[in-house]
Amino acid sequence: MLSTENDKSAASKDSTTEVASKSQEGTAEAPKQKLLDIIGSMTVEVSYRKKLKQLKTREIKKEATNTLEGLDSEHAMLQRTTEDVQGGKPLSPELVEAVSAVASSLPLNKKQTESELLAQLRRHEETTDKQKKGGIINIRNVISEMAVKRQSPVQSGVRISSRISLKVDEDDQRIKPERLSPRSFDSRRSLKVGRRLNIFTKASKETENALKTVSSPTIWDLEFAKEIAAVTAQPPRNGFEEMIQWTKEGILWEFPIDNEAGMEDDAEFHEHIFLEKHLKDFPKQGPIRHFMELVICGLSKNPYLSVKQKIEHIEWFQNYFEEKKELLQEI
Amino acid sequence: MTDGASEVLPSPCTRQVRSYYVDWRMLRDVKRRKLAYEYADERLRINAIRKNTILPKELQEVADKEIADLPRDSCPVRIRNRCVLTSRPRGVKRRWRLSRIVFRHFADHAQMSGVQRAMW
Repeated sequence: MLSTENDKSAASKDSTTEVASKSQEGTAEAPKQKLLDIIGSMTVEVSYRKKLKQLKTREIKKEATNTLEGLDSEHAMLQRTTEDVQGGKPLSPELVEAVSAVASSLPLNKKQTESELLAQLRRHEETTDKQKKGGIINIRNVISEMAVKRQSPVQSGVRISSRISLKVDEDDQRIKPERLSPRSFDSRRSLKVGRRLNIFTKASKETENALKTVSSPTIWDLEFAKEIAAVTAQPPRNGFEEMIQWTKEGILWEFPIDNEAGMEDDAEFHEHIFLEKHLKDFPKQGPIRHFMELVICGLSKNPYLSVKQKIEHIEWFQNYFEEKKELLQEI
Repeated sequence: MTDGASEVLPSPCTRQVRSYYVDWRMLRDVKRRKLAYEYADERLRINAIRKNTILPKELQEVADKEIADLPRDSCPVRIRNRCVLTSRPRGVKRRWRLSRIVFRHFADHAQMSGVQRAMW
């Protein structure tokens, strides 16, 4: 019979835990590290216990499913799991009966164990649904949730472990045990379920207002800022700081010396050399064309002007000759 | 005249800042330099039209008149390389922009980098 086997196994475990707790009490007087180690080991025991419970519930579940009509029952269960009900999903009556039987078999508080087992079953169904839908299960979250919510009156060490959280986040920050809010089980996938990942920081409204007002600095603000800079500017303590100050002011060049410092010529070489396209508006014959071709020849050999300056040069000549058109036509 | 103080420095400068030019002649020289910088491009282009054998002579005469109409202080010929500290017009070394007396004063006090009394 399953129940008697469970009884025996439970009894044996109880005895081992009692013995362990006695030995642990003796060593509790030792320094803090030992205490923490002990508490850590105790949490391990708790999780082991949970795993056993899980195994039991799984066996019971399998039996329940086998007794039913097979696939149809599973579908029904899944459908029920997707319903949104306060406090969890409605489980099949066979499972509930099995849970009650297990709870009665264990020597601990019946109602507490029953509720815990039901909660675990719900979680199981959640995880299986997620797996079927292809969702990512954060195993860490699940395990941490299970370890944190444990509050049995027998093992007081567990409560201490929940306070002194040994679990460390990825950013080396202590995970504080969170309390279940009454709204966490409202919707199937509510935003408050699960541990905070702390990726995004809350954008406070004050900072937004501050950002808006920065856009219009008054003259007085500038003057104030200059005053502050002048007051806080300490004289350089050594030659290095002096050189830094000079570089900021522009007296000293930046090392390693950049030959193109302050020069941002994004144009290619062909834009500098082939300037004939700018001569479109000029007449194709005559002395003016001859003159402009010479100008272009000279510009193409000039490395000191930028492309814009060269184009401006040519445009100035264009304007000049257009103004003198009447004069030229007289000639 | 407080021409030098009209420009606001972007970064705080803790050194001595001269707010006056040494004398009026120096100020006029400064004005000439500014104007010459402004009109440099125009002068170059008009001169390119003038000093030409290709364009017709009438055009070049018109260009002559135009360049004469520009302000007098815009031509670079009127700029005099004065001493920066004493505004002395003569005896100014170009590399240091200082007159010979000032140069000698600083060199003797070892305030000119790389300058030594000659002895051979």
